[in-house]
Amino acid sequence: MAALLPNVLQMKSEFIQATLATLYMTAVSAIIAGVLGLGLGILLVVTQPGGLLSDQPSYQLLDKATNLLRSVPFIILLAVISPLTNYLIGTTVGTTASLVPLVLGIFPFYARQVQNALLDVDQGIVEAAQSMGSSPLAIIFRVYLKEGLPDLIRVSIVTVISLIGLTTMAGAIGAGGLGDIAISIGYARFENDVTLVAMLIILVLVFAVQLAGDWLVKRVTHD
Amino acid sequence: MAQPIIDLKDITVTFHNDQQVLPAVQDVNLAIDSGDVYGIIGYSGAGKSTLVRVINLLQAPTEGRVVVNDQALQDLSPAKLRQARRQVGMIFQHFNLMGSRTVLGNVIYPLLGQKISKQERQAKALRLLKLVGLEAYAQAYPSKLSGGQKQRVAIARALITDPKVLISDEATSALDPKTTASILSLLQRLNQELGLTIVLITHEMQVIKSICHHVAVMEDGQIIERGPVAQVFTAPQEALTLDFVEAATNVRAAIKRITRTIRLSELAANQELIAFKFIGQATKHGVISQLSQEFKVDVNILFANIDQIDGQNVGDMIAVITGDLAAFNPAVAKMASEGVHAQVIDEQVVKGLSD
Ligand SMILES: Nc1ncnc2c1ncn2[C@@H]1O[C@H](COP(=O)(O)OP(=O)(O)OP(=O)(O)O)[C@@H](O)[C@H]1O
Ligand SMILES: [Mg+2]
Repeated sequence: MAALLPNVLQMKSEFIQATLATLYMTAVSAIIAGVLGLGLGILLVVTQPGGLLSDQPSYQLLDKATNLLRSVPFIILLAVISPLTNYLIGTTVGTTASLVPLVLGIFPFYARQVQNALLDVDQGIVEAAQSMGSSPLAIIFRVYLKEGLPDLIRVSIVTVISLIGLTTMAGAIGAGGLGDIAISIGYARFENDVTLVAMLIILVLVFAVQLAGDWLVKRVTHD
Repeated sequence: MAQPIIDLKDITVTFHNDQQVLPAVQDVNLAIDSGDVYGIIGYSGAGKSTLVRVINLLQAPTEGRVVVNDQALQDLSPAKLRQARRQVGMIFQHFNLMGSRTVLGNVIYPLLGQKISKQERQAKALRLLKLVGLEAYAQAYPSKLSGGQKQRVAIARALITDPKVLISDEATSALDPKTTASILSLLQRLNQELGLTIVLITHEMQVIKSICHHVAVMEDGQIIERGPVAQVFTAPQEALTLDFVEAATNVRAAIKRITRTIRLSELAANQELIAFKFIGQATKHGVISQLSQEFKVDVNILFANIDQIDGQNVGDMIAVITGDLAAFNPAVAKMASEGVHAQVIDEQVVKGLSD
């Protein structure tokens, strides 16, 4: 063991710290981006032509903004928004500071996924609900979100997994976490076992998310 | 005469699809009385769905007035309109049940957010499920049901708001003939027992024939013919109406078949091929045997069919008559007022059928 993992064994507490940091960044940014992305995704669906609250100018604006945000590479986003990060958090380095670019980087992506998931909800069901006197708000919550739940969970899994990937990149601005360890210790000091173990932990996290998501999807699907 | 429960005045619906202007409904007037079963028939794209979606303002008309249950729907606030929509239930070809809710959950759906306790809601939903014969499936999910069962759930759901009108947009089009019959008889029962006004869209005259009292025929966004079903069925005025009627009675197909084996040119001078239609009482008396005795003619029946249309008997018969035609034909022609209509089939009629 000591021969295989000479450096890792001496870094147990760093690994625990880094794993916790990765989990923290992923969870907090997932929650914030989840709320923002869900909201934006719903707005895109209801304002689009033929939607519940169809509104061409709003839709155009939201659609363009989403595309714009999505086209900025994350590594550049990190740098570009550092003034905003500084303003919101008071610093541009560290785990908490990384939440700002993580949220901004992932929520437009999530919004698109949410939009697609909701667009898959049978329009006939929406029409039936309208014929029964449901308000737009009731249709959003009782039809779109409920009928679209399995797909929403699926896209959420995809998003969280992407997010885990992004947290490793955030390591580049000293965000800490497994990505940081893999690069600044494992890679920089040629301690390959450190890089390898960091990667394995990330893989385990990804699998865990996937498994939990699949289980949830199965629970909420009734066909 | 009471105010009609549905009163559509000068309705026009125009869609604009990328530069294209599509008049889906053009200047349609439609008044439907409370308690009626009103059929709307037409080929795909005729504008039937668009027209009925105007009834609950799911489709806002480009022009025209919509009055339902004495309420001018276009004058209502969004909240009041939603309230008014609850008076008009709707069922669809593809059922449109929510897969994420149980049967009971689907039926309860329209009552969510209403001031009614959970127990009352459930009790009411179960009562309706019993009415449609599905109380045993309350906890099942729609994916486990057959098409006919799904449509019954949809009917229960449409009824839970105590609507006065039920709109059925091709509700039986996805079902087999036997299931169709059972759904139609359920609708008929609802009409008779609850006094529910039913507006029923279909492209099958068979459906109209079995439960409707009135029918409107739509083509290219317009109602081209309308009236009591028995009248439209027995004396269609428009070519399209005739098409639909024929599809349900098969008289024309029978004439074609018969004239392939019996050549009109091979008939003797004292023979003719004739198609009779008997309406109402005329189906009960022995009209033909009476005539054959009176005029000493021979009647060789090649096709006969009797049907119930909106509760009235309608019979069709095709026969070769042999005898004194000069006396027989005028006598038959005089019987139109008694519900006997006859048409001698000559080369011209046959030619008209083949194109
Ligand atoms: N929302 C819409 N936007 C644009 N065009 C539409 C819309 N809804 C219907 N149409 C068009 O209006 C016409 C009438 O359609 P409608 O659905 O009312 O016909 P229908 O008689 O119900 O036909 P079907 O038997 O196929 O259901 C069609 O040409 C259709 O393409
Ligand atoms: Mg239609």
